[in-house]
Amino acid sequence: MNHSIAVRERSRATLLKRFFSIKAVSRIAAFLPPAALVFATAILFAEALPAIKYNGLGFLTHTQWRPGNFYVNPVTTNGVTHPVGALYGALPLILGTLESSVLALVIAVPVSIGAALIIVEKLPDHLSQTVGLFLEVLAGIPSVIFGLWGTLTLGPMLARDVFPLISQIVPNIAFFKFFKGNTGHGEGLLTSGIVLAIMVIPIIASTSRDLLRQVPRLTKEGGAALGFTDWETNRWISLPWIRTGLIGASVLGLARALGETMAVAMTSGAVLGANPSNAFLPMTTIAATIVSQLDSALTDATGLATRTLAEGALLLTLIALATNIAARLLVRRVSSTALPVGRGI
Amino acid sequence: MIQQGEHVNVQSFDALASGSDNHLEPTDLIVSTKELSLGFGQKTVIADIDLSFPRGSITALIGPSGSGKTTFLRTLNRMNDNVKGFTRTGDVLFNSESIWSPNIDLLALRRRVGMLFQRANPFPMSIEQNVIAGVKAHNIAKKSQLKQIAKMRLEEVGLWQAVETRLHDSPFRLSGGQQQLLCLARALAIGPDVLLLDEPTSALDPTSIEAVENLILSLSPAITFIVVTHNLAQARRISHNTAFFFEGQLTEYGPTKHIFEDPSRPETQRYVSGRMG
Repeated sequence: MNHSIAVRERSRATLLKRFFSIKAVSRIAAFLPPAALVFATAILFAEALPAIKYNGLGFLTHTQWRPGNFYVNPVTTNGVTHPVGALYGALPLILGTLESSVLALVIAVPVSIGAALIIVEKLPDHLSQTVGLFLEVLAGIPSVIFGLWGTLTLGPMLARDVFPLISQIVPNIAFFKFFKGNTGHGEGLLTSGIVLAIMVIPIIASTSRDLLRQVPRLTKEGGAALGFTDWETNRWISLPWIRTGLIGASVLGLARALGETMAVAMTSGAVLGANPSNAFLPMTTIAATIVSQLDSALTDATGLATRTLAEGALLLTLIALATNIAARLLVRRVSSTALPVGRGI
Repeated sequence: MIQQGEHVNVQSFDALASGSDNHLEPTDLIVSTKELSLGFGQKTVIADIDLSFPRGSITALIGPSGSGKTTFLRTLNRMNDNVKGFTRTGDVLFNSESIWSPNIDLLALRRRVGMLFQRANPFPMSIEQNVIAGVKAHNIAKKSQLKQIAKMRLEEVGLWQAVETRLHDSPFRLSGGQQQLLCLARALAIGPDVLLLDEPTSALDPTSIEAVENLILSLSPAITFIVVTHNLAQARRISHNTAFFFEGQLTEYGPTKHIFEDPSRPETQRYVSGRMG
């Protein structure tokens, strides 16, 4: 008897030991992602520091993007060596990033939710699975393919057939003036927004679909038993039930759109130094600028051009972080009525 | 078996007409089923049910699990129509008209024939909004009256004092019993003629059960109740008539007193005496 107890205790001891090592490893693993974020941001900051010093606050307010003259001797200002006449203003990039992403979200969220509702509530099982499969495949297509398609096919088609129509039908007031005037050649803000939307739809739609499947049948039947139409059940029961999750899904999509590089670089026209006067004209984003300017930035012997791109990257990181934090605050507000699912995304 | 069903039915009508504790006119039937058979896919759940519910009565549907009570109940406001593989023959008459007749609007039918489920199922909206959700959907009151309606219905189910100060809070913080009362208030708010209750108290504590039962008794005969229950004592306490379902058949139907004290069929006797089920 005593013997067997001793054996058991010993095995418990080894188990505990093993348990400790598992615990230690998982602790380290848990701290890795935040550590990576802090590390990357710190490196970016160190890399960008001279550019931050040189560009100052003007980086956020200027619209010019001039690397300066690489062919005369560089000069030194505030302890930073730079090409003569270098002036970097990222305002158009910041606005371009936000505008194209918001545009993408405005298009993608309703389409995605509609698609998810139809997949979950309307389609028969086999069709719903097929459509779901396509969504997942769509999410896995490399962005360069969307970019190529956007710039070769979609953009010109939009410029020829759709943009003139939009420009004609929108009212000429306030906000909508942005959708009037020269409809361009298909490379620009709206084209990028639409391509981005197509890229984030699979993310938002498949997340929404999974969320919708979690809405209890009993609650939906409660709506039906009360004489709700399908639309009323969706509008008043299913969507509110998953609203915090929907915000999370949208932020996931927004994060993808904010950081998307290739597709935007290829469809935006990647024009530097000016805000587009309407939604049809060329623009650029922070990410697109980094990829399209890196080559020429490397020829800046003073290194200011690459450091400025690092400053842009830092800014993009901050924008992404700010979006996430804002989303969390929004979720906290929306879930104040204690929702059963999707709390804390 | 059809003959048996008819026989049972005739007997139950006689019983209804002469029942001492039941003075309802047997001819004033609000819901009746005609040779109703229900199933899913190849499987028949219940067969040839002829069952009639007098206006204003409280009817208990009892029987072992799997005897088809809930399927039967859910069919009465067409909740099964969209269930995959659902099959039906026979008919259900509501105020002498088939509920599948093209003249009957499904949403309007469900406004007249409400339902309370086994577990509370509040909607993800505030307590007040929950009560008036149906009222808004059917557009049966002015916007200015909604608050008043919510108060009245919450008072009716005895929940007003408990929730008065938190009408705009989530219903999910209420206790299970309170949530079920809230669902009842929600069902009452659209003024149904019939309420189908699917084991409405099976997930509740004794105090809440008593509250729900008293409410049912006080709302009768304005509302006709059809209650599926596994709680035989409950069936005895609240119902005028009891229908005993067994193995997909309606075995016996009559005044509750008769079913519990002097059932005609041996299966009923075994079930109500606790020797089966």
